[in-house]
Amino acid sequence: MTIQMNSGKACARAWEIMPWALQATAPPEQREWLMHHLAQCEACSAEFAQQSRLRCALSLPADIPVDKDRGLKHLLERLDAPEPDTAPVRLWSSGSRLTRALAAAVLLQAIGIGALGVRLWSDQAPHYRTLSQPALVEPAGALRVVPAAGMKLADWNKLLHDLGLRVVDGPNDVGAYAVVPVGPASPSASALRRLRADHDIHLAESIDSKP
Amino acid sequence: MNESTSDVDSRDRVLLQRMAAGDRAALEALYRAYHGGLSRFLSRLTRRADLIEEIVNDCFWITWRKAGSFHGDSRVSTWIMGIAYRCGLKALRQRGDEPVDDYALREGRGPSHDPDEDRELRDWLGKGLEHLSADQRIVVELVYGVGNSLDEVAAIMQAPVGTVKARLFHARIKLRNVLPTLAGDSPAQQENLS
Repeated sequence: MTIQMNSGKACARAWEIMPWALQATAPPEQREWLMHHLAQCEACSAEFAQQSRLRCALSLPADIPVDKDRGLKHLLERLDAPEPDTAPVRLWSSGSRLTRALAAAVLLQAIGIGALGVRLWSDQAPHYRTLSQPALVEPAGALRVVPAAGMKLADWNKLLHDLGLRVVDGPNDVGAYAVVPVGPASPSASALRRLRADHDIHLAESIDSKP
Repeated sequence: MNESTSDVDSRDRVLLQRMAAGDRAALEALYRAYHGGLSRFLSRLTRRADLIEEIVNDCFWITWRKAGSFHGDSRVSTWIMGIAYRCGLKALRQRGDEPVDDYALREGRGPSHDPDEDRELRDWLGKGLEHLSADQRIVVELVYGVGNSLDEVAAIMQAPVGTVKARLFHARIKLRNVLPTLAGDSPAQQENLS
């Protein structure tokens, strides 16, 4: 916005000086110059009159009644009141939501990681046994079976499959395997009989059987 | 700075020193000295009397606690006005309010005991200020009502001097375009400066 005044730069200068001349903070030479200009410029003179009136209006007391004595009484009561822990409370209240949210997030993460670790640990237990590990303890109902040295692997697998058995250990030094039923049931007597009846099986006996 | 301003500032500094030592009488004296000016200043931000009292008391609560840390970089009045201004903005913000933008929404224009002349002047002023933003009203109040310099207004509002100068300029343009008409001057006069 530009100010196009009747007398150009002089009016612009007068515009700048007016508030400070009214405050009586403008240097004397500026005030003197302004008075001289106002005497010659009707527009600036009207503007200055309006500014003077504005200053008078703004110098009036507040038009909203605010009770000074009551306010002072309240202030003194506030000073006498036991000092609340405003600083920590404000710190907590201003950052509390964020702090609590972060703490909750960390706690949830810790719980989640812990639960995941337990699950992975249990799921990932190896299904094999290394030679350095101690021999498995045969489960109850396991059978000790010694196949003939010339028995074909396919025949051995088919026999076990037909009888519902699987190898859990072996062969040991004498070529014996420990087999158990695939399911939870104990091996049937017929399975033991069929093993003994097979001409490629040298020995079939229950491991639990006492001599 | 004229002599009386200097005297007032010297008095205020002494009061602050006494307050820093825990002298409540000094607090009371400073409170009474500033209550009227602060109330008028804050009435340019809010028209609620209860809120003005609360902001004034927040301001003096801080002044009481910080009296010992006043370094004297500015006049005491500038320092207190700055605290009041920030307390005012904070109080309005905490309530989700904005500084009153419609200055016409006033709870009664002026006390009933106003002389007719004052009432007329208040109405004239009120109709002019309602065209200004809250920031512009504050600048006009501080320059014309309180008598602050641009540097002091910048310190109070924590704004660059250039920003304050621009606010004052635009406020004056708006007032000049509105107030002469209300005062009965001819619109032709306004064109001289537009």
